[in-house]
Amino acid sequence: MAEMILEVSHLTICREGSTVVDDVSFRLEAESDTALVGPNGAGKSTLVQAILGVLPRRSGDVRVLGHALGLRGQLPAAVRDQVAYLPQSIALHGRFPLSVAEFVGLGWDRAALALPWRGGRARRAAVALALAKVGGEDLAKRLVSDLSTGQLKRILLAFCVVRPRRLLVLDEAQAGLDAQAAEQFHGLLFNLRRSEGWTILQVSHDLEMVRRTCSGVLCLNRSLRCSGSPDHALSPAELERLYGRGWVAYHHHHSDASRS
Amino acid sequence: MLDSGFDPAHLTQLLALPFMQRALLAGLLTGLLGGLLGSFAVLRQLSFFSDALGHSALLGISLGVLLGLNPTLVLIPFAVLFALGVNHLAGRSQLPTDALLNIVYSSSLALAVLLLSRVRSYKGGLQQLLFGDILGVSWLDLGVILLLLISAGGYLLLSRRSQILLTIDEPLAISRGVAAGWHRLVFIVVLAVVVAISIKAVGVLLISAFVVIPACASRLVCRGFNAYVLVAALLGAGCAVVGLLASGAFDLPSGPSVVVVQLLGFLLALLVAPHSRLARP
Repeated sequence: MAEMILEVSHLTICREGSTVVDDVSFRLEAESDTALVGPNGAGKSTLVQAILGVLPRRSGDVRVLGHALGLRGQLPAAVRDQVAYLPQSIALHGRFPLSVAEFVGLGWDRAALALPWRGGRARRAAVALALAKVGGEDLAKRLVSDLSTGQLKRILLAFCVVRPRRLLVLDEAQAGLDAQAAEQFHGLLFNLRRSEGWTILQVSHDLEMVRRTCSGVLCLNRSLRCSGSPDHALSPAELERLYGRGWVAYHHHHSDASRS
Repeated sequence: MLDSGFDPAHLTQLLALPFMQRALLAGLLTGLLGGLLGSFAVLRQLSFFSDALGHSALLGISLGVLLGLNPTLVLIPFAVLFALGVNHLAGRSQLPTDALLNIVYSSSLALAVLLLSRVRSYKGGLQQLLFGDILGVSWLDLGVILLLLISAGGYLLLSRRSQILLTIDEPLAISRGVAAGWHRLVFIVVLAVVVAISIKAVGVLLISAFVVIPACASRLVCRGFNAYVLVAALLGAGCAVVGLLASGAFDLPSGPSVVVVQLLGFLLALLVAPHSRLARP
């Protein structure tokens, strides 16, 4: 039996009194690439944030690499090291005096209290290697607030790849990218997934991309409506069940990716 | 005020006076502390918090006067309670934080002035509270500021990584295992204590300048985080010393002199900043 990287059972999440994710269960096998799809407000971002311990859950269990996620989102540091999260965007207000190399280094460090200069040489080597893997060597000295959206996504991938990870959670990674940049980003993600042996859970609106690259799909609209291979879960009948009647066969054009 | 002119001999005489030496030391330490804390506070958009706390602190001082206690003793618990209260309110309320802070500080200010108007025995004068009395700083005050500088500096140094991650993106920080709620609370309490301690020297009206201006000037010119924090702290300390010397030499009020020097530093940073433009929106 394949190793389970993430096991979610009967997960229910409430926000401000209403249930936004209801009794969701699924498992991710090692090195699978699973998309989480569903209409706006379906609870996709809430679900991934609860899995990471960012948002609290009402009930249910989450196991990451076999370790139970505590009720307040606690995970052993050794497990945390192997999980990376790519948020939709990071909102930097104004000039942010943090260089790309410093930012990527934060992905290498553990969060515990430590003297800043500890592990300096190993960190520098890891950061240089990570930037090389995402083709961002020339960005090392730039400020994170000076980057374009595409460059920032690349650097966020470097933040993930700077340490060996098992599980990568992406929340609409392609949001804000134009067609060409989204294609490049996915190509890079696809290659890194294979070379690094990542298991991926990604929130996505780009059903075409999901059809082409993902091995599994979870359809969420508050509860899990269906799951399985892209051919099954993204069939017109299932999509109508997920997005409601009036759903027209969704030929995703990349110009849509620049929304949201 | 400019009639006194500049007289080097006068300045040398001043520097020999113990109270002037204490004032310079207090300015140096307060400037370091303000720049250090401010560099994080400004990135976290907490600059208005320090302003609001400064203004509200007048209520703490008035309560101290009313109860016949040493104002500094009342100020620290008052500031901590203020920080905890605002943090709690901001987490629970559906109103934006700046509006909440505005309500809290303007009502504290009103209450403070009403209280002070009822206290006849109060001879200290509002002027001193508003603009500080750095010449009245005692050795004990200096010791407290130094202790605070060491503990705040130690905390920020050890939790540096967590602080930066929290400043960039809270969910990202939590996903890396940062205890976000805890660090947010500790930081806001440390900032509150720093503001409270510095009020005696700087006054309630100008304290936020110590936190905001050096950090913003440094933010405009620095290209790395370590340099940014270091330059903010040194700029804070340098401006304070230069401002105090100028205030001694030209017989000007001390707090405002320091803030004007900080402003000059900021304008200089604007000029030398890459592309010499204000921070992007």
